[in-house]
Amino acid sequence: MNQMAIAALKNQYKSFVQSMFDEGVLDNQFSQLQDLQDSSNPNFVDEVITLFCNDAERIITEMNRYLNYQNVDFSKLDSNVHQLKGSSSSIGAHRMKLACVNLQQASYDRNKEECVEAFNSIRHEYCLLRSKFQFLMQIQRRIVALENNQQ
Amino acid sequence: MAPAADEAKSGNGGQIQRPFTFNEIVLRNRLTALVVDGDNFCRLLQQGILQAYGLQTQTVDNGDAAVELIASGAKFDLILIDMLLPILDGLEATRRIRAMGVNCKMLGVTAFSGERERQAFLAAGVDLFVEKPLGPEVLIPILRELDGQYPSI
Repeated sequence: MNQMAIAALKNQYKSFVQSMFDEGVLDNQFSQLQDLQDSSNPNFVDEVITLFCNDAERIITEMNRYLNYQNVDFSKLDSNVHQLKGSSSSIGAHRMKLACVNLQQASYDRNKEECVEAFNSIRHEYCLLRSKFQFLMQIQRRIVALENNQQ
Repeated sequence: MAPAADEAKSGNGGQIQRPFTFNEIVLRNRLTALVVDGDNFCRLLQQGILQAYGLQTQTVDNGDAAVELIASGAKFDLILIDMLLPILDGLEATRRIRAMGVNCKMLGVTAFSGERERQAFLAAGVDLFVEKPLGPEVLIPILRELDGQYPSI
């Protein structure tokens, strides 16, 4: 019974990840990271996702603060969006990375209105990504719990 | 600086093409690596990736710490260094590390993608300029090369 449940959950996980690739939310880099998870490193993906989300939320909070000033410090904004672009690329968060590129362009143009619009897009993409990651991690944890019960 | 025009790409439409995967190499030798990245996530992720291959990996979060560590005598087979770093940037840190006579493989791993940045990082002394993310198609051949430099047992 457990075997069937585990298999069903693994299929659900795989399908959900595939849907994220199909929507362009994730790219190949994420699947490469999944390959690094094995029995000696069973929580690798979970840990990576958690680290990414902590980092991203901190950066997004800072960017929001800079954009709320009347005179935007574009150099600080540049530095933050550069960092977020790097971490988004590194986890395979494709649409987040593209949203960062748009904000980089708006910041380069020193256009506050466009920056705000681009930033809202980043925030939207992040919320979407985070909720999907949370769902994935829930499935993964259920799989691990069932596998541990079997032993 | 303006982002590169070719970054405006669409999603991969669900077809995953994987000429390399991260787990297709087993190293014979215990290699050592240093990761220099000011971003917590990227630093820890790169460390995690290298450790998954069995590399003994240290990390620092700024260029000055990297230079100090190497000046203290620490030796590495591989250094991954970001360009934008606090305290001392990656370009200057790389120059100082090379000026100490360090010849190990250095990869400049950065979110910058422009040709100007590439040339600057290469001129500073990195062997390869890598736009993040660091993928297996770049890393695996380098690890094989480094592993092969040790005599077979």
